[in-house]
Amino acid sequence: MRPVIPYVTAALLFGLGVYGVLRRRNAVLVLMSVELMLNAVNLILITADTTVRAALPQTGQVFALFVIVIAAAEVGVGLAIVLQLYRLRATVAVDDVPLEKVDA
Amino acid sequence: MHDTVEYAHASGLLSSVWLLIAIPLASAAILLLLGKRADKWGHWLGVASVGVSFVLGLTYFFQLRGLDNRAVELSLFDYIEVGSLHVDFGLLFDPLSAVFVLLITGVGSLIHLYAVGYMEHDAGRRRFFGYFNLFVAAMLLLVLGNNFVMLYIGWEGVGLASYLLISFWVERPSAATAGKKAFLMNRVGDAGFAIAIFLMFAQLGTTQYDEVFNGIGAVASGTVLIMGLLLLLGATGKSGQFPLQAWLPDAMEGPTPVSALIHAATMVTAGVYLIARSNPIFTANETLQTVVVSVGALTLLIGCIIGCAKDDIKRVLAWSTVSQIGYMFLGVGLGGAAYALAIVHLLAHGFFKAGLFLGAGSVMHGMHDQTDIRRFGGLWRYMRITWATFGLAWLAIIGLPPLSGFFSKEPIIVAAYEREGWTAWLFGTAALIGAGVTAFYMTRLFVLTFHGPKRWTEDIDHPHESPPVMTVPLVLLAVGSVAAGGLMASSVPDWLVPALGDHSGEEVHAVMSHGLITALSIVVTLLGAGLAYALFRNGTALQEQPAGPVVTAARRNLYADAFNEAVFEKPGIFLTRALVFLDNRGIDGLVNGLAAAVGGGSSRLRRLQTGFVRSYAMSMLTGALLVVAAFLALQLGWLA
Amino acid sequence: MEDLSLPKIDYAAVAPMLILFGVACVGVLFEGVLPKAARRVTQLVLALLGLVAALSVIVWQSDTRVLTAGGAVAIDGPTLFLQGAIIVLGIMALLLIGDRAMEHGGAFVAQAAITVGSEADRKQAVKEQGATEVYPLTVFAIAGMLLFVAANDLLTMFVALEVFSLPLYLLCALARRRRLLSQEAALKYFLLGAYASAFFLFGVALVYGFAGGVEFGTIHDSVTESTQSTVLLYAGLAMIAIGLLFKAAAAPFHVWTPDVYQGAPTPITGLMAACTKVAAFGGLLRVLYVGFDGVAWDYTPILGVVAVLTMLIGAVLAVTQTDIKRLLAYSSIANAGYLLVGVLALSKDGLSSTMFYLVAYGFTVIAAFGVVTLVRDADGEATHLSRWAGLGRRSPLYAGIFTFILLAFAGIPLTSGFIAKFAVFGAALDSGEAWLVVFGVVTSMLLAFPYLRVVVMMWLSEPGESTPTVSIPGGLTAAALVIGVVATLVLGVAPAPLLDLTTSAADFVR
Repeated sequence: MRPVIPYVTAALLFGLGVYGVLRRRNAVLVLMSVELMLNAVNLILITADTTVRAALPQTGQVFALFVIVIAAAEVGVGLAIVLQLYRLRATVAVDDVPLEKVDA
Repeated sequence: MHDTVEYAHASGLLSSVWLLIAIPLASAAILLLLGKRADKWGHWLGVASVGVSFVLGLTYFFQLRGLDNRAVELSLFDYIEVGSLHVDFGLLFDPLSAVFVLLITGVGSLIHLYAVGYMEHDAGRRRFFGYFNLFVAAMLLLVLGNNFVMLYIGWEGVGLASYLLISFWVERPSAATAGKKAFLMNRVGDAGFAIAIFLMFAQLGTTQYDEVFNGIGAVASGTVLIMGLLLLLGATGKSGQFPLQAWLPDAMEGPTPVSALIHAATMVTAGVYLIARSNPIFTANETLQTVVVSVGALTLLIGCIIGCAKDDIKRVLAWSTVSQIGYMFLGVGLGGAAYALAIVHLLAHGFFKAGLFLGAGSVMHGMHDQTDIRRFGGLWRYMRITWATFGLAWLAIIGLPPLSGFFSKEPIIVAAYEREGWTAWLFGTAALIGAGVTAFYMTRLFVLTFHGPKRWTEDIDHPHESPPVMTVPLVLLAVGSVAAGGLMASSVPDWLVPALGDHSGEEVHAVMSHGLITALSIVVTLLGAGLAYALFRNGTALQEQPAGPVVTAARRNLYADAFNEAVFEKPGIFLTRALVFLDNRGIDGLVNGLAAAVGGGSSRLRRLQTGFVRSYAMSMLTGALLVVAAFLALQLGWLA
Repeated sequence: MEDLSLPKIDYAAVAPMLILFGVACVGVLFEGVLPKAARRVTQLVLALLGLVAALSVIVWQSDTRVLTAGGAVAIDGPTLFLQGAIIVLGIMALLLIGDRAMEHGGAFVAQAAITVGSEADRKQAVKEQGATEVYPLTVFAIAGMLLFVAANDLLTMFVALEVFSLPLYLLCALARRRRLLSQEAALKYFLLGAYASAFFLFGVALVYGFAGGVEFGTIHDSVTESTQSTVLLYAGLAMIAIGLLFKAAAAPFHVWTPDVYQGAPTPITGLMAACTKVAAFGGLLRVLYVGFDGVAWDYTPILGVVAVLTMLIGAVLAVTQTDIKRLLAYSSIANAGYLLVGVLALSKDGLSSTMFYLVAYGFTVIAAFGVVTLVRDADGEATHLSRWAGLGRRSPLYAGIFTFILLAFAGIPLTSGFIAKFAVFGAALDSGEAWLVVFGVVTSMLLAFPYLRVVVMMWLSEPGESTPTVSIPGGLTAAALVIGVVATLVLGVAPAPLLDLTTSAADFVR
């Protein structure tokens, strides 16, 4: 087993996610980028699980399950907030409207 | 080396010494909490509370005289206790705090009484007395605490109360600005003081006076120097000494009784108290003493030079306060027997300077709040009591025998000449010149105000003397100005021996004989006064005249404001702008919007306070990368 | 396949969390079954009872020192103390949340789905009752915080982090007035929060890769014993710290704070400023003191720089603020810096003084936001600073209370702020972190300036046309204010009992 490949892949995925957060104006896409970062972590956890002499076996896989569940909850909340904002503003761009000007 | 400091436990009557603080504090609480309901009688409550404290103070004073160990400690409760930190909420009543208590409550009651008349037409009189009482309580706490933390609590308290009192007349924008300046400059000093306290903790594990003083001998000399310099920074901030002198004259925007009590008699002398109280620390390091002496000598010259160039009656008095406190710093810096001399001068100064300020207030009261001495003249005919009392205080401050200033100032000049080597000439002569210049500008003030031709503004036809509630304190303070010096010159140093150490047996040699110095100081005083009389007995021009560089510099406070602006304000503003900019635009703003932000003023900066998720995310990422990089760099360094 | 053996759980020790999660679930059920009119009182009483019950259990359990739930949860001195603090502060925040006396229907929007600016929105702003979902959401958040400070492994910590963050994101979006601002704030908080927790999780994964486990005990052992390359360890620790510093609002991870504090409904801002701060620092303390104390020498200078930057940014930028909520936000950032100074003392004193600071600051800050809810005009709260000018003439009592609170923030003696700063600086000095103390003292002197500016503005300006009125607080807000102010005063004058308590609680179990 060569753990280098999944590790590098995971790092690339994480970087891609960070890049997405920084470059995307669409809130949904920013959200997806964050999910990408979390999935990169999942990949690391599962890879580590097979390579590290863990105190308890298979813990990494279990962690990944936790992360998936939390990520799902996060998406639920996030989409609710984005949807709200879309209704109010009819746009989901994160930096279209400066905060102070809409002080209504 | 210093003797071991030991305090007895308070017993009997002295165990109620906390009442001194509690009474004005309670009065302040009543005045501020009851609101308008107390408007009718509030000011009398204010006067009474300080009066009662004075009577109590006297009682405790006589009680203390009867004791063998004239320093009693009263521990009220454990204030702070975390791990090795232990701070006692305790009071110390010793000769030094006793004389301060008497000064604060004695002069304080007179000024309170005077303020009843002075503030009669002011709608906020009750509030004013509330703050005034608060100030007295804080000041008493300052001098009565038995450790540096208590001193610091009182220190902050007087700062706060004086800040409120300076800004009391808020309709004047200059008053609000002055409040701000006083606050900022004091904060610089306070920061120094606070760090000094923490340093004490780190080195000695305590801030109790006795433990600190007994342990200071074991501390490395460099540390003592730093500790002392930080304490000195605090003292210069509170006492308006170089380099933090600029706020004190601006603080004169407040009501005159405030100037008299806070900026002449009590609060500004807190710095002197701090140094006198921590005399074992200052005595332990010679460099430290030299620094204190230099600060004192420099400030006394700065103060009296600027005092010559000012035309506002209160500002002249303010710069004279700066200068006189310079003498006290000179005294405490000289160390040894001069500690007590500084305290004597402080007490005498409390009387005559309060008298001068209240006299000035009385003049302003009769002259529609005019403060420009070029617009006075010939007032002696109309305000006899004010003239007589002001005149006595004037003679006292310039140090003519047998008034109090002579007995308190001249020994400090002598002590300055008793230093070793060339510094004796330097500091002694500075003090001597200061005495001459003081005589010059105070005489100018007196002559221009009360004598010579009338130069009043048109709306005044007949200035009136102030009501008795204001003149009685003036008379009492004048009596003090005349008599206090002679009475205190020998008794107070003896009395202060338990707090400041016994130096009577020490042999000292002045570079000139004592009699010669005395004669010289009287001569320069007479010269200064005579010159001023000759120049100003016929009045002066009504407008500021063009003048040479020296006078212009003096008029501009020797460019201290310009200096502060260039050294502190400008970099401060730059730092703020830079942080605002980085904070709001994040790192990519740094790249994209640099030109825009640098070119823009504050309005543009505010517009940039918008929230862009992406730039926030960018700053966080940059921060994250830096943190990770720092960790990894450390780790690699550790490998290598 | 071998049999699964379930870990033993000490139910009494984890009862406070169970109670609160239970109460929150019941609250959600109530939303569905109760008629609209009865919901508010029922929900409020239920939430308060739940918090009081949890607090009682904590007091009753105060001598417990166990690791339970298979080592995932540590119930020890700091846990119990911080949990108690979170609950007490949570009760205060809940009182503010529940008050509807100042504004018809409370500070929360009736139905979050209504479009801003529409007819329905104007109607809800003045007529309709606020949503009652806020109570179970608040209880969920508080329960999550309890778990967060008790978490003894990084995964539990991550789960708890999300459990208390997700309800907070939603609560931020529920303001009745200025709804666009509120929703913007929520979106920003959410996106950045998710981003920060991704970093946290990445750090967890790296540390897992290094130590082969995420329990603090395991990490501690491998930090001290492991011979392998420590790149993973350091990178992981850095990223975990970033996630925690984000919640604690330390620079440069503070950028969300002013916007979110300003946009969120004020009672929620109070909840975040007090309780979230306790939770975030509770977590940070455990991570640094229990898990990574073996590399303390390495992270102290880095986090020290973070602390200095935080104090500096908070103090300097507070000077330029014109909105009272943003001002308090920057003050909260600076206070995060002072707390970090306490944390970095890395000693028993550091632990106890940090805990004291958290409690003292929490009481004061909730009271501050309580006063902010009172100053209003026809459009809701008047938060622009210029509007506060002359408030002292309009309402001496509340201006006086606010003045006292600001003095406490400024660390003026005889308030809790002074003792708290004194204690953390003293602890840091004892551990030889003199440079942090110097920066702390200097910035706190600086920070006093904006506070005093507000004081002067309130007392020494004449009230103008636009000076808003100060509403008479409802009983609940009044209660919260009284608790906050009395605590600030008592902790300032006689701090010894609480200091004793923090000292006796300052021992982690491992």
